[in-house]
Amino acid sequence: MPDFSVITQNLPYLLWGRALEGQPGGLLLTLIMSLEAGVLALVVGVLLALAAWLSGGWTRRILFAWADFIRGIPLIFVIFWLYFLLPSLFGVNLPDTITVVLAIAWFTSAAVMYSTLAGLEALPKGQVEAGLSAGFSRTKVLVNILLPQALPNVLPSLVGVFISLIKDTSLAFIVNVPELTTVAGQVNNRTQIYPTEIFLFTGAVYFLLCGALSLTVHLAGGRRARPA
Amino acid sequence: MTASATPLIELQNVHKWHGDLHVLRGIDLTVSRGEALAIIGPSGSGKSTLIRLVNRLEAISEGEIIIDGVPTARFAGRELRELRSEIGFVFQQFNLYGHLTALDNVSLALRKVRGVPRAKAEARARDLLDRVGLADKAGHFPSQLSGGQQQRVAIARALATDPKIVLFDEPTSALDPEMIGEVLAVIRELPKAGITILVVTHEMAFAREVADRVAFIDGGTILELETPEKFFSAPSHPRTRRFLQQVLSPLSAAEAS
Amino acid sequence: MTGVSFDFAGVLTGQPGQWLLSGFLMTIYVTVVGALLATLLAVLLLGLRIAPLAPARGLAIALVELFRNTPILVQFLFWYFAAYNLLPRSFRDYITAEHPWAVLPVGNVLLAPEFIAAAWGLGVFTAAFLAEELRAGLNAMPRGQKEAALSQGFGHWETLRFVLLPQALANSWQPLVTQYLNLMKLSSLASAISLAELTYQVRQVESYNAHAFEAFAVGTVLYLLLGLVLGQLLIVFGPKPVGARARRRAVKANRSATAAAIVGASGDA
Repeated sequence: MPDFSVITQNLPYLLWGRALEGQPGGLLLTLIMSLEAGVLALVVGVLLALAAWLSGGWTRRILFAWADFIRGIPLIFVIFWLYFLLPSLFGVNLPDTITVVLAIAWFTSAAVMYSTLAGLEALPKGQVEAGLSAGFSRTKVLVNILLPQALPNVLPSLVGVFISLIKDTSLAFIVNVPELTTVAGQVNNRTQIYPTEIFLFTGAVYFLLCGALSLTVHLAGGRRARPA
Repeated sequence: MTASATPLIELQNVHKWHGDLHVLRGIDLTVSRGEALAIIGPSGSGKSTLIRLVNRLEAISEGEIIIDGVPTARFAGRELRELRSEIGFVFQQFNLYGHLTALDNVSLALRKVRGVPRAKAEARARDLLDRVGLADKAGHFPSQLSGGQQQRVAIARALATDPKIVLFDEPTSALDPEMIGEVLAVIRELPKAGITILVVTHEMAFAREVADRVAFIDGGTILELETPEKFFSAPSHPRTRRFLQQVLSPLSAAEAS
Repeated sequence: MTGVSFDFAGVLTGQPGQWLLSGFLMTIYVTVVGALLATLLAVLLLGLRIAPLAPARGLAIALVELFRNTPILVQFLFWYFAAYNLLPRSFRDYITAEHPWAVLPVGNVLLAPEFIAAAWGLGVFTAAFLAEELRAGLNAMPRGQKEAALSQGFGHWETLRFVLLPQALANSWQPLVTQYLNLMKLSSLASAISLAELTYQVRQVESYNAHAFEAFAVGTVLYLLLGLVLGQLLIVFGPKPVGARARRRAVKANRSATAAAIVGASGDA
């Protein structure tokens, strides 16, 4: 029979790790890493999309090749590469948490770039022409006219990307950064006999987090789709 | 054309509701063996619903449809599938199976519903494609055919299982004007082969030329059921007269000029 | 990185070379078995999802949402540490016994807890995504296709089997290929439950002779290569989009579809 006392006994550790000693862990660290990587990926991804939209030819091809390369290899390899490259680039060892956040943000920015670009290119051509004929430069058309229309349209797919990102933070387990999956693994190693309870609980936490987000999009999407 | 005495299709007090909407209000209609019946009426009159009830693409809310002496309104499961396989149906939008060639479109139901061996089914399909003038298009996919050709394949498909009845739901409404003729020419041949056809149509000339009787339906009831001669020359119901005026007068005005 | 010289021979020959080859093959094995399982489970899930029974549909929705909204790594840990040990003792003894027939070239053992948990985990996770793609494809089919089949006397199952599914499969093939490629990349996370696949062996080489750059580079290239080959195979031998059947058109569609599928292979973990 499942014995969930192992969860209640370890609940503070699973939820916030050693936050009281200044080292957030568990669910709290998952949330912090997700938000940091999410904001970074959003900013970088949107900038890349703008660059791809504005530039033609080689710049655009290189941007796409870069994004396809990132998405063509497993995320864990992006993490490995940053572990290897960052110290030689900056000459210092960054904290593991930062390395993982940067890797996930880098990986995710490719998806953000694709979504945003798709949103920009889905807008009617007339929007650009109207802007240009009113005397705006291409950059101003993009920033002032297209982007404000495209971002709300791609919001559902961006939330989808963010849900993937939250799940991706679990890869920190492999390099032992103490977010939710890692601390769950630690508790499992320590107690040995409650793997069912521990991983069911861990899964449930992710499910509530991601499921709630996806439900929000679903409901909002339904409401928005109706008037059309 | 003289139809034999026993009715092939008999609708008795047929009603259809879509939720609160009373689409058909007590239809009584008898169709004889080998008859060609044109069903006309304004859009939203319930004329498509009427023929979709005959092969039960829509459920009957109330009443009975007797086909070849057998009440069919309560048919379900296997009985219903057998009934449907004996009634051909041709759609406004053709609805050819997009992943299959013309030949496979025609032979699929023979093979999978009737269990006819492939070679035999394909031979029959080739005959039928030949009959609608498309023997050379057997290997083409729907996306490679014109609208008129697609509709002729659809007619061949409807004929594959050798049905006694073929139902047509506005078979030319989705076609470019220059393709209407080729499709009507194929439909025209069916009654000559002893097949009973019910055609929902906007083509007044076709109704006049091919139909044994014309049914005018409006507001869910049949207002007029006559031979084409009487229907077009002396319609009895004022709504029929008004409808015919609207449909025919632009044409007669054009002819007069 | 001036003054750094690379020693690829140090990872491609001898013991490290053996490990990497063995890991690469293991990645292929677990991908193939996982993909077959995923396909089978996706068909079952789809069947439940469109069944006329409300409880069946509810169950399918719950399962799909559950597997899609939890990290596959946590699912691996659950299957490996928890679920596997709930299996009957006799079954587990059978798995851990020696089975010469289950040993593939370079000594990869398929009948082992790690392989079973990894293949099953990949299969279940991917099935949820495949089922949703297929359902979206079915929903996108024009109503007339179903009506045409019903009017010809096809039952519901035959309509699905002969008319709707073949077209839905062809039309959603590209996103489906994306999911299969994602499965291949996600197999890298099975290294966390000690499956000795490519990622696991890359790390073993790294800790064996500290050739980190070379090992990562070889691993990266192998994953990219496998993705390209697998994507190309699936597109070439997969169903062609409906409406692009003419030979020349199909070839053209293939080319762009391959590119798009490979490009679209985002990392949903």
